Amino acid sequence: MTTTAVTTKIGIRDVRKIFQVRDAGEPFVALDGVDLDVREGEFLALVGPSGCGKSTLLDLVAGLTAPTAGEIVIDGTPVTGPGLDRGIVFQQYALFPWRTAQANVEFGLEAKAVPRRERRERARHYLDLVGLTGFEERYPHELSGGMRQRVAIARSLAFDPDVLLMDEPFAALDAQTRESLQEELLRIWDKTGKTVIFITHGIDEAVYLGQRVAVMTSRPGTIKEVVEVTFDSRAGDLRADPAFGEYRHHVWTLLRDEVAAAQVQERKAATSRG
Amino acid sequence: MGDRRSAPATGIALSERAPQELPTDIDRREAPATPAPPAAVEPAAVGPVEPASVGPGERATAPAPRPSALARRARRLASRAVTKSGAILLLLAAWEVLPRVGVFDRVFVPPLSEDLVVWYGLLLDGPLPEHLRASLIRSLSGFGLAVALAIPLGLLIGWYRPVADALTPLLEVFRNTSPVALLPVFTLILGIGETSKITFVLYACSWPVLLNTVSGVKTVEPLLIRSARSMGLGPLRLFQKVILPAAVPAVFTGVRLAGAYSILVLLFAEMVGAKAGLGYLILDTQSSFRIPEMYAGIITISALGLLFNLLLLRIERRFSTWRTT
Repeated sequence: MTTTAVTTKIGIRDVRKIFQVRDAGEPFVALDGVDLDVREGEFLALVGPSGCGKSTLLDLVAGLTAPTAGEIVIDGTPVTGPGLDRGIVFQQYALFPWRTAQANVEFGLEAKAVPRRERRERARHYLDLVGLTGFEERYPHELSGGMRQRVAIARSLAFDPDVLLMDEPFAALDAQTRESLQEELLRIWDKTGKTVIFITHGIDEAVYLGQRVAVMTSRPGTIKEVVEVTFDSRAGDLRADPAFGEYRHHVWTLLRDEVAAAQVQERKAATSRG
Repeated sequence: MGDRRSAPATGIALSERAPQELPTDIDRREAPATPAPPAAVEPAAVGPVEPASVGPGERATAPAPRPSALARRARRLASRAVTKSGAILLLLAAWEVLPRVGVFDRVFVPPLSEDLVVWYGLLLDGPLPEHLRASLIRSLSGFGLAVALAIPLGLLIGWYRPVADALTPLLEVFRNTSPVALLPVFTLILGIGETSKITFVLYACSWPVLLNTVSGVKTVEPLLIRSARSMGLGPLRLFQKVILPAAVPAVFTGVRLAGAYSILVLLFAEMVGAKAGLGYLILDTQSSFRIPEMYAGIITISALGLLFNLLLLRIERRFSTWRTT
């Protein structure tokens, strides 16, 4: 990417990640030569076939694992571990079942040593932002899937990270809930100005949410192409916009070969295992 | 159960749990939203297996009932009470009637009412309170010590792989050795006094607590650990804020099982060598042919066990309201 006036928030530089598989002889190359710049305040969607290393890449940016080669920089500083400047939203919510919605949102604030009263206020504020006022004292098992994911989003926003990393957050939800949450996420993003990396395997979701859509290849994963997505107007039913269809088709074409390749890999892996 | 018991060997240690070295994590499939809570782990080494008396888990979100609904609910509760107590009432009735009509010999199985009268007499001005006190002191001290020792040890084994590796073989040996087999050893080393009996109870009660605690720590949802780590929690805070609360329900299941064992095994110890206690009472009355008194002892022991279990169940519920099952 050419950096014009916009500044780079997250720089992924020639990142390679190899896993040592215990019983198998050859190492498992998950990512190879990933280069990607995420701009400040950008909403970047990341799509790729299953098993291409999307989640691995997210783990690397989150600092949960270290790259085998290459580096990841945030605001020019290399990532050395997890930190509260990045918040992750997982597909399976990852809420603490023994904590109420309120206490879950407060979790990150406790880690940040925010005083008790301020924690309460901020948790309430962010629960309100995701539309969950009145559900503060509910436990996760008393909430629907969509509500749980809202709590998880509120929790990640509450400690005010610059970057929001989302790993297929809406994949486990039903279509209607997903759509309403997508809309809401865009509203929140607009309001908070976070830099978002959003992993998905849904092409529609990627085109709908992303200002840019990065398409990954099958394993070993690398960035195949980054598609700029701009609409003249987002009013009305965006998905019915002809431009939406064009973007969708373009991404689909990019993905098609990769998905086929991934399936061959999967089958090969399954037969060698069996 | 066998595979679960060998958890330290096959289970996931923290180092593996962290996603970095797990390539399967890359193309992870949809997992169920809520992890199944770890099942209770019962050591089979001790005698009778405790009957699972888990009642229906009441949801925390019951809508406020309206008056008409209240009546309906009362009716439902009443009918449930009849269903639930039916078998017990039947047993009690049989106990009362069968000796009277001559199916059982009244000398060996006196009708329930006679036993209860004797029981009442023993309780008011008889040796029963003294025996009860002796038994309670032994079982509660053994139980309390077991809980105090086994929980920290279980947490240690569950959390630190090296500790698990070092202790697992030894634990396997002891866990599969019946406490009853070891009672003579305890008596030889510690004498026939209170120490050997309390140690015996302590030993028997430690297993359910220990094994459930280990399994509770080991089966913490890895995603929760990842999530907490992503928020920058160090190992100590992670343990305090995630592992410990997540393991609480499993720990309490172990504690409840231990409560049952504490009474079960004590009885045995008291029957083998004691001058007081309910076990002694039962055996002594039987050998001197005071049959109704023997039944009084049995009734007491049974009531004590039930009460203790009920109490622990209450506590367990209180600490695991968030558990969805």
